[in-house]
Amino acid sequence: MSVLSKLEEALVCLKAGKVTLPYPAQAQPLPEKFRGRPIFDATKCIGCAGCANNCPAREILVVDLCQEVRILQYLGRRCTYCGRCAEVCPEKAITMSQEFENGTNAIHDLGQRLEIFMSTCQRCGRCFKEPSVLEQLKMKGYRFDDVQNERWIYRSRAFLEEEKTVDDIAIELD
Amino acid sequence: MIAREMFEKFKARFGPLIDRADLPNDRRLFVFVDRSAVKYVCQHVFRELDARYVITIGADDRPFSGNFIVAHNFAFDKEHLLCSVLTQLPADDPKIDSITDMVPAASWAEREMRDLVGIEPVGHHYPKRLVLPDGWPEGNHPLRKDVAWNEVPAEFDPEREFHFDDPPEGCTVVPFGPFHPTLDEPAHFRLYVEGEMVRGCEYRGFMVHRGIEKLAESVMGYNDIPMLAERICGICGCVHNVAYVQAVEEAAALKPPPRAEYIRTIMLELERLHSHLLWTGLACHIVGFDTLFMQSFRIREPIMWMAEKISGNRKTYALCVVGGVRWEITPEIRGELRQTLDKLETEWRSVVAAVSRDRNIQKRTWGVGMADKDLVKEAGLIGPVARAAGVDIDCRRDHPYAAYDRVEFDVITEHGGDVWSRLLVRMREVFESIRIIRQCLDKMEPGPLQLEIKDELPIGRMGLSSVEAPRGESHHFVITGENNRPRRWRVRAPTYQNLQGVPRMIKDQQIADMTISLGSIDPCFSCTDRLETIDLRSGTTKIWAQEELLKLTRAKKA
Amino acid sequence: MDRSTIWMIVAGLLNVGLVLLVAPFFQGVLRKVTARIQSRQGPPVRQPYFDLLKLLGKEDIESGETPAMQRFAVYLSLATVLTVACLLPMGFAAPMNGAGDVILLIYLLTLCGICTLLAGLAAGSTYSLVGISREMMGMITLEPLFAIAIIVGALHTGSLRLDTVLNGSVYATAGVPFSGLIMLVVILMSFQGFVQRVPFDISEAETELMEGPLMEYSGPKLALFKYAYMAKLVIYSTLFVALFVPWGSELAFPLGWLLFWGKVFVLVLLVTLVAATHARYRIDQAIRYFAGLLAIALVALVLASYGH
Repeated sequence: MSVLSKLEEALVCLKAGKVTLPYPAQAQPLPEKFRGRPIFDATKCIGCAGCANNCPAREILVVDLCQEVRILQYLGRRCTYCGRCAEVCPEKAITMSQEFENGTNAIHDLGQRLEIFMSTCQRCGRCFKEPSVLEQLKMKGYRFDDVQNERWIYRSRAFLEEEKTVDDIAIELD
Repeated sequence: MIAREMFEKFKARFGPLIDRADLPNDRRLFVFVDRSAVKYVCQHVFRELDARYVITIGADDRPFSGNFIVAHNFAFDKEHLLCSVLTQLPADDPKIDSITDMVPAASWAEREMRDLVGIEPVGHHYPKRLVLPDGWPEGNHPLRKDVAWNEVPAEFDPEREFHFDDPPEGCTVVPFGPFHPTLDEPAHFRLYVEGEMVRGCEYRGFMVHRGIEKLAESVMGYNDIPMLAERICGICGCVHNVAYVQAVEEAAALKPPPRAEYIRTIMLELERLHSHLLWTGLACHIVGFDTLFMQSFRIREPIMWMAEKISGNRKTYALCVVGGVRWEITPEIRGELRQTLDKLETEWRSVVAAVSRDRNIQKRTWGVGMADKDLVKEAGLIGPVARAAGVDIDCRRDHPYAAYDRVEFDVITEHGGDVWSRLLVRMREVFESIRIIRQCLDKMEPGPLQLEIKDELPIGRMGLSSVEAPRGESHHFVITGENNRPRRWRVRAPTYQNLQGVPRMIKDQQIADMTISLGSIDPCFSCTDRLETIDLRSGTTKIWAQEELLKLTRAKKA
Repeated sequence: MDRSTIWMIVAGLLNVGLVLLVAPFFQGVLRKVTARIQSRQGPPVRQPYFDLLKLLGKEDIESGETPAMQRFAVYLSLATVLTVACLLPMGFAAPMNGAGDVILLIYLLTLCGICTLLAGLAAGSTYSLVGISREMMGMITLEPLFAIAIIVGALHTGSLRLDTVLNGSVYATAGVPFSGLIMLVVILMSFQGFVQRVPFDISEAETELMEGPLMEYSGPKLALFKYAYMAKLVIYSTLFVALFVPWGSELAFPLGWLLFWGKVFVLVLLVTLVAATHARYRIDQAIRYFAGLLAIALVALVLASYGH
């Protein structure tokens, strides 16, 4: 009978009580493994660009200014918080923090820039020992991403180039 | 054995028409036939051998073999076999006979092939544009290899209008969508209405087409694509993630470690739980019963918290890489998961008991949105829609993957074929999912989570994968390629097939029942529209001033 | 003008003011109780006041077919509801006794319903037209029910004056008031339709019709419509209490008045409970339901004319 089932439904509801949580008035506890914004630690980073090669959204740009200096720029626009960068980093320099309230008017707030001094072997210092053979695109050597226009350039070379072309879209490997 | 037996049947019947056949394992069969024989073979497979139609795929293989490839995929559910009938088309003449008159379910797939790859299905009954926007220039087919992934065609015409069909005699047109409070995603059903009864409709969709397949084939690698795949859908992301990875593993003949398979199963079933609970709430909201909507969401919330504990996110689990999974289930999580499931089961039992006897909801859902066994066969409907009509299909049992061959569960069927039956099927599947998760937690052995992949994956191999999403069968097709990227990746989401049955389901019903009929297939338009979008705002340079936009939205359009 | 006329006007205006003040409060109570049934916190009880203020301050976009008719429909709808308020007894005697009788009341109640039709027609979009066609079909079977209840009361007391009829007159028979009890049950079972709440809020079904007749209204016009909608709940509740639950109305001022509003409050709670626990019906199901009730009401009318 419909009235009985309605009463049963009402009982289910009333037994539950009030479940509204007082967020954002009070912060709610997050689980340990929560994947929030990645935080890059420049003191640990060796500049291998493994994070850039394995970012599905291509949000980490790598550009070699000269033999010794490499810039790693995390843009944070299309970051999907997947955690591949943290997983792949050989020095555990990236942590997935618990920050998820990342809304901002200035998108540059989310960016993180690392300027790494590349010592030791000038050629091998750019190679990345991939965790598995399924590495993305095998980008080794010098990199030329366009930090100003925030674009990935799918090109890597064994030598530094003077001119950096910004219109490249086809993939060129050395 | 099974694949070989089926192949023998094919050989006996078609003999000389078969160019080549691949039987990579016991459950897959790839048959290459001559293009003139494709229609005949597909008709035999669909009608006489009673296979279920899955999808038609067009691929541009010209840089590698010089030809186009067309694949018609079928499923033999009782024989546990997935079969693909392939043919090669010469580069200068990409035409093939349409199979839609024999297999009505192929209608959209062939139109899509025509739009995106440029392969013409000769004899298709309704060759109108399906996927590409109206102003897209002719002859520019995005999925061809000579079209760049971020190309913006110069000849794009933003003013070109879409021509709707004329309504039949005596009917007025009631537009349902693209913006409508019931739908979370845009879809345009143009209803032809006579009084309060719907006499027909024209569907226009693919408005949130995102370029996923093209992206994956152009600039992403094997391990990047799972993150992209899980964003195909807003609810059933894990399914696409797992299905893609399984297709690649099958193509490369890799078998993930057993613990990884169990974890995949657990996460898939968790996803099914939260999706079915969400759908029950949504269905009640559509018929105006907000209380049950709130209660379903309240009962569902602990599942989301569990998923967040295991994977770090409530919905985008980012679970798989090729060869394994990324997240572990620790003993504490195990304990918590068991507790959550126990509580969920008790609460859901009381809800199901109350709803099953509720005449008020039954009055709104009995006899509404009828899909009988014939429509299921003709339109290739799948998932709870098919099971509610009495058709006993379920990929978990028919084409076992992950750890489903090691757990026991029942496949729930009903016989009404209407929205009420679908409601019952989904509500009861929740209990089966809980049962599966419990079995997995018991049977899981400690072990590695990922395979060590030492060699590059072989090139040019095909993999098929069918995974039972909460909405039906989600089917992925992968051809492996160079540079750690696939050559072709095709996603067939369940709503793609189910939507093709909706016009028949809503015919001769009232407008008021339109929303609940559409809602009862559990539509996920983002799953359906997962192909191309090029950002038009960067191509065309028209900047709309606010007054212009306001005028546009307020102007009366015919 | 003599004192009684002035007093009539003042009393009428007091009633109007009371309805305007109290209608959003009852709506707030309805939303809060619904939320608690749905296990959530719900908006504060004074939220509808803020909603109306917000809407009144918004830009008025005239986007329908006939903006002049739209404006007219809006003002008419609130005006009719408030005019009905002038006629009803709200804890006191009915203010405008000499000025009107129950026939006027019945007409004004029907006019309230017609305002929604005007609104939808003036808007002219496909969904509003579908919405008003549903509303028209519903009104044909629904509106007569209250009219019959009032006429039963008039038959029993033999008078058409507001203060006599709206004072529990349905029970004014010798012996068991069959017609009164039948009408009580009939009106209780159809009350949700009069106040346009679930399961009978068919013309404004949000998920099916995108708000139906109210579709092309925004800003201040929408505020006035919402106000009329909230006021209708109060009006119909007071009418119901006056007609069917008159006991205690003879008590002196504070107690009698409080008792009256207490009864109205209980009725509003009942409406909330039913609205929170039911799904919406389709128009054909609703029409069949109301037609059945109409048949029973006609039986009651026949009984009343024979003095039962």
